[in-house]
Amino acid sequence: MTLWFIRGLRRGVVTTRYPARPDASGPSLPAPPAFRPQALTSHTADLLAAICPSGALRRDRGVLVYDVGRCTACGRCAAKAPHAVTRSCEFELATTDRSALIKEIPVREEAR
Amino acid sequence: MTAEELRETIARQFGRSLHIRTLDTGSCAVCEQEIRLLAAPHYDLNRLGFFFTPAPRHADLLLVTGPMIRAFAVAARKTYDAMPGPKIVVATGACALGGVYPDDAFTHGTVDAVLPVDVWIPGCPPSPLALLHGLGVAVGRLADKVRDLPFTEDRDPERTRGGS
Amino acid sequence: MTAVEPKVVPGEVTTFQVASPDLEAVVRDLATALRLADMFASDGDTTTLRLVWANDTAGQAGYIITETPLDNGIYPALSDIAPAAFVEECEIYEQFGIRPATGKALNRVMLPPHTGQPPPGLPTLGHKPEAEPEEARAQHTVGGQAFEFPFGPVRQVGVESLYYGLVTSGEEVVDLYLFSWHKHRGLEWRLQGKTPEQALFLVERTEGLSAVALGWALAAAAEAATGSCVPEAAERARAVALELERLYNHAAAMAALCQSTGLTVGQSAAEIALERLLRLNAQAFGHRYLFGVVAPGGVTRPPDADAIRTLLPGAYGEFNRAAEALLGTNSFLDRLEATGVLTAAQASGLGLVGPVARASGQLTDSRRVPGGPYGDETAVATGTAGDVLARFTVMLAEAAESVRLIGGFLDAGTRLGAEAGIPEFPRTGGAGLGWAESPRGEALAWVELGRDGRITRARLRPASARNWRGFDDACRSQNVFTDIPIIEASFWLTVAGMAR
Repeated sequence: MTLWFIRGLRRGVVTTRYPARPDASGPSLPAPPAFRPQALTSHTADLLAAICPSGALRRDRGVLVYDVGRCTACGRCAAKAPHAVTRSCEFELATTDRSALIKEIPVREEAR
Repeated sequence: MTAEELRETIARQFGRSLHIRTLDTGSCAVCEQEIRLLAAPHYDLNRLGFFFTPAPRHADLLLVTGPMIRAFAVAARKTYDAMPGPKIVVATGACALGGVYPDDAFTHGTVDAVLPVDVWIPGCPPSPLALLHGLGVAVGRLADKVRDLPFTEDRDPERTRGGS
Repeated sequence: MTAVEPKVVPGEVTTFQVASPDLEAVVRDLATALRLADMFASDGDTTTLRLVWANDTAGQAGYIITETPLDNGIYPALSDIAPAAFVEECEIYEQFGIRPATGKALNRVMLPPHTGQPPPGLPTLGHKPEAEPEEARAQHTVGGQAFEFPFGPVRQVGVESLYYGLVTSGEEVVDLYLFSWHKHRGLEWRLQGKTPEQALFLVERTEGLSAVALGWALAAAAEAATGSCVPEAAERARAVALELERLYNHAAAMAALCQSTGLTVGQSAAEIALERLLRLNAQAFGHRYLFGVVAPGGVTRPPDADAIRTLLPGAYGEFNRAAEALLGTNSFLDRLEATGVLTAAQASGLGLVGPVARASGQLTDSRRVPGGPYGDETAVATGTAGDVLARFTVMLAEAAESVRLIGGFLDAGTRLGAEAGIPEFPRTGGAGLGWAESPRGEALAWVELGRDGRITRARLRPASARNWRGFDDACRSQNVFTDIPIIEASFWLTVAGMAR
């Protein structure tokens, strides 16, 4: 056991201080995306709703309904429309209200 | 009981010592690996007053993964019923929140179809940090901030290229 | 009489049509020289039975598939000739309603008991069986009364749900039945109608701890079906991801071994290594568990080679120091030696794969099939004792080899010339087999694509789907209850991979 004890002491502490202090590794992990309404045309929004494999994106009149809870951060929407989709870097997403995870992203109507 | 009273009760009963039971309703095994890491040196949930327990009778919080496969629902309900009140149910991972698997013949698709969920933690998988945040929200120690996050960015990508 | 040459073309998959009356003789013939890797059926005008055979010999490794249309819905009892086929016979009955000829008792595998379930019940891949499986139990002669006690499916903290039927006469394990139907998500049924690109999302999440291996197997199957080529740099990028997957899984297995033997301090040391490896994965490929790396036609992104070169030595150093300390801790080794022994005959009879098979002397490793990014010098670690300690030492040797391989792949180059991304995957018909050596062993996938490029039948065979059948043999060899978690950690399988 002495072997383990000495190793442990020499190794030092690796424990995060989160939540008392921020942890640098959090924001660099894959996170649900954020959207750019200016670049989100109706056509693009339809493409994104079709490509999401997890059912997190759905079209409704004038909006893209985005369920952050269903998002797996797989990156398919960002790859499909890189001008309209960006990283959110958010990982503190837990909530006591399920509806707080459902966002309505305004869709830019094309000029006729 | 008002919402404020409920928050105070939760903080008082669970704020300093919370026992967690885990429940797999059909996950791919990765959520379980992240949950196991909560006890690992990098995260050490014990320093925050959280403890794992294998006994439902001893547990305050049920940490549930997976899309609630229908064939498992009876076992899930029994596990929940075996926990004495007051108790908290936390659904964790995209599968548990309705993603990945829809409501169909095999799966309910969400944990809240069978159990009364109090806290939802998104992610695929939710990292141990996200889980710690979720546990903090469950006991009222950390802020529930996702409601105020818009998940939109108004900056024009053309303009940012020039640097600002 | 169809003459099926048991000689496999190295690096290739050869498919033979075998008429139904000849099947028994052909299987008898092939079973002497080759390993039965998988057996499955698919529906069409008739139900077709396919058997996948593997040659594991170095320099000659490859696969044969025999295809047999079952005209009158019956096939010979192949598990009498090749015991490795029994679980698949049960699966085929549940999914297609077809029994093997002798009509022997079959067990429940994927589908839950129907009691209480309203019709029409769960979707199957073919005709539903008329009656439920019989679920025969083996006869036991044990001193005193042997009784079966069910355990689970909700078990210890942080482990998957798994339902055991533990047959015991007190302390020793007389028999161990495993049930995983409560985790059956119907993956093969869900993949029907999807494009390979869409399918990959679910396939990675079939057994998330083998996301790279299963994704690669499916992508390779789709590439074989459509005749697509993958650039060499992309193949090496996949291999880097696969070796990183192997490394973190072995670290996790080491932590689980320590936990099962009650050595908390060793568990913590292994977990530190595991966390560093997961953070390395996030830096290298953008996800701690390497989801979203493999795509049909290549990879979605090349690895961050600088990050790997910087971080891997430290992370592996941590792993190695923990391993060396464990190998010097006698109280730990005492729990591992002679525990959970799986003999060479059991391992080969059941067609086991991966470190479990290699620790019992089977030289099987699908990385040695020529034509992939792995060269002939890829070292394959084996053991002879077949106990938990042998499996542990095989995993440690594999981890060292993984580090060496990653360095080699990065040096040979993993960046594609034009970073424009993967071209659109062709939408054509065909069928193909793909494979990758997951941390648990050979993972297979077979797809049949319709002319619109969508899946008409997908077969997923993670290593877990093959190796759990060896678990009760391992638990039975003079072990007691408290050894079961130790043996389970040394197998390091998942329920999700078996139940699909």
